[in-house]
Amino acid sequence: MERQYWIRSKPVYTSLLWHEKATAHLVIAEGDGGMAVLKLLQQKYPTQVVRGFYAKSSDSLKNYADIISSLIPDEFTVFANANDALKSLKNSLAEYHMGTRFYVAGSEAFIWQVAKELYDFGVQDDDIEKELCGTLARSVYCVHCKAITHNVHHNIVNCTGCQRKLFVRDHFSRRLGAYMGLMVDAEQPGDIPTINEVYP
Amino acid sequence: MSHLNVKVAAIEQVTEYVKHFTLVSENGEKLPSFSGGSHVVLALNIKGRIHRNPYSLMSSPLNTENYGVSVRKQELSRGGSVFMHEQIEVGSRFQITYPVNLFSLSKLSHKNILIAGGIGITPFLSQIVDLNRTQTDYELHYAYRSPEHGAFREEIQEMCGDRSHFYVASDGQLIDFNDLLSEQPLGTHVYVCGPEPMVNAMIAAARELGWPEKHIHNEQFTAPQIGESFKVKLAISNIELEVPTDMSMLEAIEEAGVDAPFLCRGGACGRCELEVVACDGSIIHHDNYLTDAEKNSGKKIMPCVSRAKCQNIVVNL
Repeated sequence: MERQYWIRSKPVYTSLLWHEKATAHLVIAEGDGGMAVLKLLQQKYPTQVVRGFYAKSSDSLKNYADIISSLIPDEFTVFANANDALKSLKNSLAEYHMGTRFYVAGSEAFIWQVAKELYDFGVQDDDIEKELCGTLARSVYCVHCKAITHNVHHNIVNCTGCQRKLFVRDHFSRRLGAYMGLMVDAEQPGDIPTINEVYP
Repeated sequence: MSHLNVKVAAIEQVTEYVKHFTLVSENGEKLPSFSGGSHVVLALNIKGRIHRNPYSLMSSPLNTENYGVSVRKQELSRGGSVFMHEQIEVGSRFQITYPVNLFSLSKLSHKNILIAGGIGITPFLSQIVDLNRTQTDYELHYAYRSPEHGAFREEIQEMCGDRSHFYVASDGQLIDFNDLLSEQPLGTHVYVCGPEPMVNAMIAAARELGWPEKHIHNEQFTAPQIGESFKVKLAISNIELEVPTDMSMLEAIEEAGVDAPFLCRGGACGRCELEVVACDGSIIHHDNYLTDAEKNSGKKIMPCVSRAKCQNIVVNL
């Protein structure tokens, strides 16, 4: 974690809130993102069309799929995994018009996979509400070998591509959905700072 | 700020109120290239005073041999457009600023809806060249008062083909913004340039439909308005000056020899913003830049278009 200064590319996640002005609402969630969906449902329900995609995940604490389905069975489709949900989302985006509002919840990796699908349809990152749920695990892009290591919980990680020990920075690429990782002992080989779990 | 010295190579009367001017550089060199939607500020010497008016470049951005600007004659104005219509001739020389773009096309757009009202068509003419060149999807919706005021209609039809749509108010044709914007595909951006009520109506319709702000673009240049004279004190330069009724505050500051910052001179860009230290009356804001809260605070003024109704105003310059 960086202190004293702020890396502007580090995304800030908020709580999902329905937009009042909209032509339709698309909610896309995975695993523990189900909690964010349930929080949305406790707000005043929109008058416009709502459609939801929920992907189950073995990591999630509760079976949110059943709760969501019992509350709004018509609007939400439940998928066995994130890939199926993303595929279905991609195939349906052409039906939606400007004024559709997007709400995404789940792990950071999932959020940015969804953002990438939406970007291909001209939906900008700023137009998407995002709530980070369940884990702070990061995807880390190795600036040396360009491999991306997923599910990183520690401040220093072994790159899956080149085995270098990478220090995980806050610098974030929206295109890659990953943080920058730099070889931590390039100047003093073997001099590795303490490794801590900081992204549980 | 560096300037370009230009001379008028050709003038064309386009409609009763619109004249088109072709500008070339005085020394015959090429002019700087620009992007669609850019404008330049013309410095016109009217009875010994320099008036600076922004005009959109409507020639092709690919053409650096000359620039095209069109001017609508505004009878109820301080005289810049009337001067352009009545005094400027082929061979007239003046200075212009380098092109600046405050109305650029979004590179992230998948489709562009261009909406023009009257002389607001001009920035779109250079944008259309860019859109045709990059083969980006677009529609042009051009509204004007009556058939004889449809400036550049033939050129537009030639450039845009069936992407262009015309609305003649005298024939009862109006743009239904809600209809136009309600079923546009994701990734569409909308751009509007025209009279203030039209711009506001379009923005309101887009917002009501839930369009995100970053997809809504507008350009509104406000001309400096005539008003009561008032005294200005420049706190840093320690200069006192008077703003006459027919001069903008920015022009009066420049006339006093102070090099004040500016860019659009139309209350759009925010570059000339000044901090108000004291004012014994009220500020009359004419710009589209400051937020309502900033305007109400009385702590800021955009001297390119805004004035004060007071005896004395002190600004940090």
